[in-house]
Amino acid sequence: MRLLLIEDDLQAAEYLIKSLREHHYEVVHSADGRDGLAKATSQRFDVIVADRQLPHLDGLSIITQLRAKQDRTPVLILSALGTVDDRVHGLKAGGDDYLTKPFAFAELLARIEALSRRASPAAQEVTRLGYAGLELDLLSRRVTREGRNIDLTAKEFQLLEYFLRRPEQVITRTMLLEGVWNLHFDPQTNIIDVHMSRLRNCVDKGFSTQLIHTVRGAGYVLKDEEHEQ
Amino acid sequence: MKNTSSKTFRLSASRVTLLYILIFAVGISSILVAAYYLTARVLDREVDAVIRTEVEGLVDDYRRGGMLQLIDTLNRRADHWGRTGAVYLLADANGNRIGGNIGSWPTAFSTSEDWVEFDIDASEHGGIVSHPVRAHLFRLPGGVRLLVGTDILERKRLATRMRYAMLWGAGLCVGLAALVSLSYSRGVRRRVSAIAATCETIMRGDLSQRLRIEKGRDEFDALSTTVNHMLDRIQQQTEVLRTTFDSAAHDLRAPLYRARVRIEETLQHEDMSASSRATMEATLAEVDRMQRTLGTLLQIAQAEGHGNELAMGEVDLTALARELADLYQPEASARGLTLSFAGTDGARLRGNEQLLAQVLVNLLENALKYVPAGGHIDVRVTAAPDCVVVEIADTGPGIPPEDRLRVLQPFVRLERDRSQSGSGLGLSLIAAVMRLHRATIELLDNEPGLRVRCVFPKEGDQVIQ
Repeated sequence: MRLLLIEDDLQAAEYLIKSLREHHYEVVHSADGRDGLAKATSQRFDVIVADRQLPHLDGLSIITQLRAKQDRTPVLILSALGTVDDRVHGLKAGGDDYLTKPFAFAELLARIEALSRRASPAAQEVTRLGYAGLELDLLSRRVTREGRNIDLTAKEFQLLEYFLRRPEQVITRTMLLEGVWNLHFDPQTNIIDVHMSRLRNCVDKGFSTQLIHTVRGAGYVLKDEEHEQ
Repeated sequence: MKNTSSKTFRLSASRVTLLYILIFAVGISSILVAAYYLTARVLDREVDAVIRTEVEGLVDDYRRGGMLQLIDTLNRRADHWGRTGAVYLLADANGNRIGGNIGSWPTAFSTSEDWVEFDIDASEHGGIVSHPVRAHLFRLPGGVRLLVGTDILERKRLATRMRYAMLWGAGLCVGLAALVSLSYSRGVRRRVSAIAATCETIMRGDLSQRLRIEKGRDEFDALSTTVNHMLDRIQQQTEVLRTTFDSAAHDLRAPLYRARVRIEETLQHEDMSASSRATMEATLAEVDRMQRTLGTLLQIAQAEGHGNELAMGEVDLTALARELADLYQPEASARGLTLSFAGTDGARLRGNEQLLAQVLVNLLENALKYVPAGGHIDVRVTAAPDCVVVEIADTGPGIPPEDRLRVLQPFVRLERDRSQSGSGLGLSLIAAVMRLHRATIELLDNEPGLRVRCVFPKEGDQVIQ
């Protein structure tokens, strides 16, 4: 997996590069916008991580110029703290995801993973989602596991759909708040865990294998660990 | 609120204008009516004096020469009809004509009156013209009656012409006055509305706006110039504050980011002792706390100062509050609280959805934090014709009345909550977001507990129907 990191804070970049390499990413670094854009256009990357504020050329302009050249490489924008509408501007410019600094490395990693998988032509217009015997019908809004009916509330259905669209990927609490509840800020209380334990009760209770797992310090994952090859 | 005040103003302006026109109309009409009646009376008196002199002359003739002398004079004078307009008639007790220049005794009046008015038909220019006549009756001994009058056609015509002239004059004057005062009051209204509109924009955070100076060099321009100078001063000071704040915030953001990165990096080392790890993790939590405080401060600054740069869209407050009540429902149950939601449809307004969501989340989290187990939290959204009301009521300890305004200020925390976590910024962020949406927030007594009442106005441009 090839990744371009455009970040002018060298100390932070150094740590990010090191940690990403530990997670088997091939990282190319650029410390300013103009150089970053040159690298992005001359080489092929799976994901680009760009800071919003950069010397010479800011993150949004890089995305705009890439998109103008029909380059669809997924871009994650890193934005400064306390700027309410940066996300709106970032997504409008053609960015794919958005993360506010400072962030936990696990958060960044989960989002990079999600973006790199999205780049592969996934079936966008599916009506059924399935994983390890768990089936979700988007039309009839029915959920079954190994043929058994599972009753879910509308929100639990949405939550499970989010996981089934990203099987075996680490999903952070922030990603769930954004993706399922459309909340782009972090509430002080941890409200996601209660919802997850309710969902887990519905999906895993009474079955021999557990599908929803907690990933310590990061979030949750939908994974069939026993039948892994 | 803006609408009500400008409506009141519009009303008062038109009321003053109407009153002015009314007073002017009454004034000009009374002057003209008085002038008309005075003139008419002078004319009437003149006619009467002429007739009276005539009668006195005739009565003198009668006294000197008896009836024959009178008839002779009458016949002489009667020839002048048409030139002087004088009318004479001498009749006996039965009303039979003895002398004079009209044919018969007029029947239109009783004989007991002294002064009479009647019409005589006279042939003029080949047609019959009715001439009004005013006459004096004089009784002579032996039942003989003398009538002396004069043609008042010209006088009546003059009076009519005068009436028309005055009516037109008055109408024209009142019309002109109405036109001038209406256009003046419209001008005033337009200027005041323009000033109010600019002030509204400035109040919403765009300090670069200035009142427009028209080249009229009138009082409004003088006022606007002064206000603009004041705004220049305010903007300059705010700019200094903002730049200081922004650079301070920016300078804090970078080290916080690096500190977090470094702590995380250190925590990656497997060979760390348990106690060091615990210290590092506690430090990381502190860094996150600092970051959250700074983030909230920056959000407040943005909502207060850069409000016009924020994306505003249609927000369905009922749907938003329902969703958030659902989100916090399990957490409330886990803490032994009940959370209920009630909402009416049509609670749509223009706003920044994320900031409004943040307001509701802060209020819900406050309630979760302070309401003891067994308590209740009630979320209610009501759409009234002119506003949307969001209420979050709880059965917690509430806030003492004397502290209710104070807690909306940044970093103000109640003494009893010192032990609780929190920055003391949650309510200030709410207050800032409320101001951005021109909404009001009230902290009320829920007897017992706290009732937070947010009222969002449904103003013309605020609400999407």
